[in-house]
Amino acid sequence: MSWRAVARKDFEDVVRSRMVWSILGVFVLLMAIVVLGASSNSGQDVGLANVVNFFSTLGGELLVPLTALIVGYMAIAGERESGSLRILFGLSHGRRDVLVGKATSRVTTMVVVATVACVSAAVLSLVVFGSMPADIFVGFLVLTVALATAFTGIALGVSAATGSRRGAMGGAVGSYVFFTILWNPIVAGVHYAVEGELAGIDAPSWYLFLQRLSPLEAYRQGLMELLGENIFGLFGWEFIVEDVDQQAMADGGLVVSNRVGGDLPFYLTDWFAVLILLVWLVVPVALGLRYFEAADLN
Amino acid sequence: MAAIETNGLTKRYGDVVALQDLDLTVEAGEVFGFLGPNGAGKTTTIDLLLDFIRPTEGSATVLGHDSTDGADEIRDRVGVLPDGFDLWDRSSGYKHLEFALESTGGSADPDALLDRVGLDQADAERRVGEYSKGMLQRLAMAMALAGDPDLLVLDEPSSGLDPHGIRTMQDIVREEADGGTTVFFSSHILGQVAAVCDRVGILDDGELVTVDTIAGLREAAGVGSRLVVRVDGQPSADLTAIDGVTEVTAEDGTLTVAYSDAAAKGTVVHRLVEDGVSVLDFHTEEATLEDLFAAFTETSTPANGDGATETAAGEAADHPDTAAATEGSR
Repeated sequence: MSWRAVARKDFEDVVRSRMVWSILGVFVLLMAIVVLGASSNSGQDVGLANVVNFFSTLGGELLVPLTALIVGYMAIAGERESGSLRILFGLSHGRRDVLVGKATSRVTTMVVVATVACVSAAVLSLVVFGSMPADIFVGFLVLTVALATAFTGIALGVSAATGSRRGAMGGAVGSYVFFTILWNPIVAGVHYAVEGELAGIDAPSWYLFLQRLSPLEAYRQGLMELLGENIFGLFGWEFIVEDVDQQAMADGGLVVSNRVGGDLPFYLTDWFAVLILLVWLVVPVALGLRYFEAADLN
Repeated sequence: MAAIETNGLTKRYGDVVALQDLDLTVEAGEVFGFLGPNGAGKTTTIDLLLDFIRPTEGSATVLGHDSTDGADEIRDRVGVLPDGFDLWDRSSGYKHLEFALESTGGSADPDALLDRVGLDQADAERRVGEYSKGMLQRLAMAMALAGDPDLLVLDEPSSGLDPHGIRTMQDIVREEADGGTTVFFSSHILGQVAAVCDRVGILDDGELVTVDTIAGLREAAGVGSRLVVRVDGQPSADLTAIDGVTEVTAEDGTLTVAYSDAAAKGTVVHRLVEDGVSVLDFHTEEATLEDLFAAFTETSTPANGDGATETAAGEAADHPDTAAATEGSR
């Protein structure tokens, strides 16, 4: 049970750091800007759904993943490089205790950050718009927390598998670049190879499934389904690697259930998106633990 | 039961041999000095004992547990002061001690631990980020002691410490040893090892050169001690006749008496006084430990052969200021 001591100690250190408070501040500020921005859209029926939609691009694709990577990437590699890992070992903590403890602390940190961000959006919406639809709030909260933990898991896995600050940084940045820049073109390439053309607005469900195996896409598809609205990615891949026209995209054309015919398969549902995000938390940490337990740590 | 036992313990990184075929036994309750120049493989050995790295060949047993399979059991009973570590800058010294006590299930009073290592309570309230190297070393020592370990592993424990701090550290080692704790003391400074250790192992270039007591090492290396006496007049007595005196040289009113038995010193001075020679001043020169060290680490290369011991003794004579000189005799 010694991981608990590591987790508590690490969490105390994280709370004492200025970084995590700055991150919290940035999120709350962003929410305030998004809410005020949404409220100035005069003549429309605005509410939390608009806030979520605005947030999902900048927050969901940039801020949440990057802060999660920042919070996670030094967790193990930092202790290893500075030599404090030797102190931890000397205090009777084993490799598993250290990794599980650190992971618990850092994931908790990001859960708190994501929750504060979502709750501040809800509170601000209630104040500014006078309403706060509970279903949208809960879906937004669950997906955002899951997204934050997914990228924390990736960063922790990278941190455990590499021995140095530089390696962990490279792995964290690399994973973000992979999901933002490479993932969608690769999946589009698979579609092209199979079907001989780029995916249109009516896409096969396996294509949308492959897409949502990326945590960023899982989050985006999940939110689109929740809101019943289009959410445009930060990099606009839907305009580049998919054959969709503006007209067809109106009125939530990109929402998953509007792109596949018939009943939505279970693997394209919202809860499955959350499951995918949780897999991105667990699997990288488990792989990182395997490396870490076998590694020479000097 | 041996506290530490290694059998053919070897660590290689590719073609680089960090530790070669180490066979070492450290008995329970002893203070064992692990000596070697920087890069000799001392930290590699410690890392292997604590499962920080895994052996390429061979095995090690620590407190009866295999270093790899029994790593968790070992860690529960070992206190470690590593070489080259950072602590958590934002936490106070007290927080560090609390964490150490919580982690090891230790019941010691934090203030008592601070007192042992010579840290002020006021300092313990401060963030560790503001500590000097010596203070960090003291705090880490307190943390190593927190769990009342059966085996204390100290890797270059004096780094960053002033002479007073070194004395405190040596006192702690003696106290722990008196309490039955085995101490594994790694250092590149022979004098510090000699001050506290029962036995010493010398490691050079990844290989164990010798294991012996300090006195045994001195004898084996053929490096003796000398009494240097400034006299007015020429003694008539034959000092070499005194038991334990091995050689006498006289030059410019200074007698240098080499001896193998420390008791001979008093007899020499006594005999000179009896002879009516005025003894103006005297001091002893212990064979410098650095020379002793050099004698062993250099003979390990076959090319040097036996010459190394002579070189070592010669250097001691050439540089008397580096010798461990003590005014008067015991």
